Amino acid sequence: MALSIWIAGIGLVVGIAIGWNIPLFIPAAYGKYLGIAVLASLDSVFGGIRAAMEDKFDNVVFLSGFIGNALMAALLVFIGDRLGVEIYIAAVVAFGVRLFQNLGIIRRHLFNR
Amino acid sequence: MKGMKHGSIVLVAIILGVLLALQFRVSSEPQPAVASGERARELTNELSELRKEKQSLALDVADLEERVMTARQGIGQAEAAIINEIEKHRVLAGLTDVAGPGVEIILQNVRRSEQPADAAVFSIRDEELVMLVNELRGAGAEAIAVNGQRIISTSEIRLAFPFINVNLIRISPPYTVSAIGDPEALRNMVELSGGLVEILRDWGIDVQVEVLDEVIVPAYQGTIRLEYTSLYKEGD
Repeated sequence: MALSIWIAGIGLVVGIAIGWNIPLFIPAAYGKYLGIAVLASLDSVFGGIRAAMEDKFDNVVFLSGFIGNALMAALLVFIGDRLGVEIYIAAVVAFGVRLFQNLGIIRRHLFNR
Repeated sequence: MKGMKHGSIVLVAIILGVLLALQFRVSSEPQPAVASGERARELTNELSELRKEKQSLALDVADLEERVMTARQGIGQAEAAIINEIEKHRVLAGLTDVAGPGVEIILQNVRRSEQPADAAVFSIRDEELVMLVNELRGAGAEAIAVNGQRIISTSEIRLAFPFINVNLIRISPPYTVSAIGDPEALRNMVELSGGLVEILRDWGIDVQVEVLDEVIVPAYQGTIRLEYTSLYKEGD
């Protein structure tokens, strides 16, 4: 199911083009939120690609996972900011681990081993 | 079903792309220095110190402004005093028109035919005017003019036959000598018996002495130039 990867790649390019050109500016103070949102979406995209390759893809699970993960991560950042403890690192680690796991599985699927 | 799942992947990928681009743009912007706790405390200290400094400087400003004001007042007073002094010295030097009580003495040559038979044949010379001025000075005259020529420290009264020059200006009879001073003292000095007026009258000169409430003595017309004189200071 390399098609999913191509589709995701095209979507990514289109999104970057849009994001580069919209006249929206996010203050540097919200950079952390943005970063964690990027991580959440990356996780979701790789998760989605993997699910599509295993033919287990479910739209509801995918979208709710994406939105839920992003919101949770943002909440962690927010709480961390208030407490002075960088809790969002938990989210970063979790997303990061899952990201590489998914990447590994996708790799195996691609090479059919 | 397949189209839909690809659709949501595309959607999330697009969102991811937008976020990535935004994040990249944000981090490529120059970031303002974020004040950490330490730095904030430092800055707070600095701020309060600067506030104190500002306060003390404001006090300094007020103080200095006050001093400037007093100095300015002082300047004003000094200026007024100097102007006063200059005015006084101009009056003393005879550079201003002055007026005051005094006498006017008019000397006139009398025609020979009208002279009494025993009178000496005589016309007024510089000496008589010099003597008269001298007498008036002696009686405390403060300002004297002969025919409108102010007598000042450098004035001369000199015969330049057949005329008389005062301040290098030619004057001609009748001679009017105006003097400001104590009118009675001035009159008494010239009219006392055996005094100058009597002598002049004996010589056949018509002398009239008028006591006036206001005698106007004009200013010296020329310019005073001191070419050779300079101030001498002891110990120079």
